[in-house]
Amino acid sequence: MSAVPASGWADWFSPTELVRFRRRHLVDRWIGRLVPIVFLVAIVPILDLIFWISQRALPTLTWTTLTTNPTGNAGGLYGPIVGTVDLLLLGLAIAVPLGIVSGLSSAIFLPFRWGEVVRGAGDLLVGLPSVILGYFGYFALVIYFGWGASLLAGGVTLGFFMFPYIARASDQAFSSVPPDLKDAALGAGARLRQYARRVAFPIALPQILSGIFLAAAIGIGETAPLLWTALFSSYPPTTLSQPTGYLTGLIWNYYDEPLTFGTEVTLAFQAAFLLIVIVVVMNVIVRLYAERSRKKLEGLYG
Amino acid sequence: MIDGSLPSDAASSGPPGLLEVEHLGVSAGSRKILDDVTLSLPDRTVSAVLGPSGCGKTTFIRCLNRMVELSPALKIVGSVRLLGRDLYDREVDPALVRRRIGMVFQRPTVFPQSIFENAAFGLRLVHADEDEVDRSVMDALKRAGLWDEVHDDLDRSALALSGGQQQRLCIARALAVKPRVLLLDEPTSSLDPHGTQRIEATVRHLKEEIAVVIVTHNVGQAARISDRVAFFHAGRVVEVGATPDILERPREALTEQFITGRFT
Repeated sequence: MSAVPASGWADWFSPTELVRFRRRHLVDRWIGRLVPIVFLVAIVPILDLIFWISQRALPTLTWTTLTTNPTGNAGGLYGPIVGTVDLLLLGLAIAVPLGIVSGLSSAIFLPFRWGEVVRGAGDLLVGLPSVILGYFGYFALVIYFGWGASLLAGGVTLGFFMFPYIARASDQAFSSVPPDLKDAALGAGARLRQYARRVAFPIALPQILSGIFLAAAIGIGETAPLLWTALFSSYPPTTLSQPTGYLTGLIWNYYDEPLTFGTEVTLAFQAAFLLIVIVVVMNVIVRLYAERSRKKLEGLYG
Repeated sequence: MIDGSLPSDAASSGPPGLLEVEHLGVSAGSRKILDDVTLSLPDRTVSAVLGPSGCGKTTFIRCLNRMVELSPALKIVGSVRLLGRDLYDREVDPALVRRRIGMVFQRPTVFPQSIFENAAFGLRLVHADEDEVDRSVMDALKRAGLWDEVHDDLDRSALALSGGQQQRLCIARALAVKPRVLLLDEPTSSLDPHGTQRIEATVRHLKEEIAVVIVTHNVGQAARISDRVAFFHAGRVVEVGATPDILERPREALTEQFITGRFT
């Protein structure tokens, strides 16, 4: 870079150019100042919420809270914790294979137009209010199939709730595999399913796993699909056909109890605190994992 | 040179080639990408497909191993025969065609796996036993001219190799399944001069065993490594013959314009 001529920028740029440049510079500066404000707007309510919940949950949260069942107006969270884990695992057992198969077909196996149909259907399901899915689960599973309000009905409904998130993540993961690699695999004599299994799947896996964790984090915070399908129970389920408790259900049931003893409301706050901790931990795991696998694939995308 | 002695219209009257292309046409809707291409590609020879950008070179070699069928919008007519067998016959499995006729692309396309597993890819597809995989991978890496650089570190990620090494690894991957023909689609277009030189040396060795078809828009490259040249323009074969004949004494005005760089 050579030095600015003695007479200033005017020798190099026309007056209009200089005006425009200065205006852009000002806009840049103001946007730069807005960023921290926007950041505060986003972060303050979250921190406030966490503080508000912790304040009510932590003073009486002990190991016993986690290991005893709720007793109507007091007790712990044991039953709902086990129920939440059971419902989530059962839901994932349905949502993961369905979601991956859906993503594979829309991104790899179906012709583009049919893939779009599958993607559209998935987006529609994501947009479906979860309370409607809960109603559907109630009428189809609880009533029509006669499963009754149970761990099975709740888990399956939760599975259908999480499925479109995993399907969308899988579709995006498989679609983002560089198309050159498909040519390379098929050019080496691979069949489409061999390409999918040996090349696309290992590359897409980190993104799919992130999608599964995200779906689980959303699913674990759901109440509406479970209210009429899993109903509620204070005790950990021992069979698939029993009604099952879950943390969000406990919050739903206990939060607005009259403050006769105060303990029910505290229990609801403790359940909320636990949910927040679980979701935060899941998010951290996803981010660490995604970062690690991104490094492993460095160079693949040129 | 065997092929240097062939008459330049060998495509229609010479001895049958390893690959015989007859009246091949490819169209996308009403637009013709390739129009009535008839060519003979002999064994143990480097055939260069030369021409300006957009003349249908890449589409042409993608027809030779049915890769073109992966673009469902394209309509293909005519025939391609390998040792007399029509590759587009309904009973022929395209996956098998692509094992007999391997392909390497413009940019290196290594998989995010080890060097060894990249070279072994085609063998794993048919569940070859470990001894055979070991032997074939070593053999392929040697033929691709990569063995000396990687033999003590085969478990390293292929993504850590240089562009030129990656491209030779892609050649090794294609060679590991013992193809009769190797198709190279502008294999050096993303490489530096050194990488290009290594690939060209590899290609010169390969023609002692198999037929090589290389797409290039680089006249110098065609002169350095090919025995025969087919000059394409606007989806048609303008001229085909022994490399010195085409590059030094072209009969068609279009060919001469391209070679001398006066192309518009």
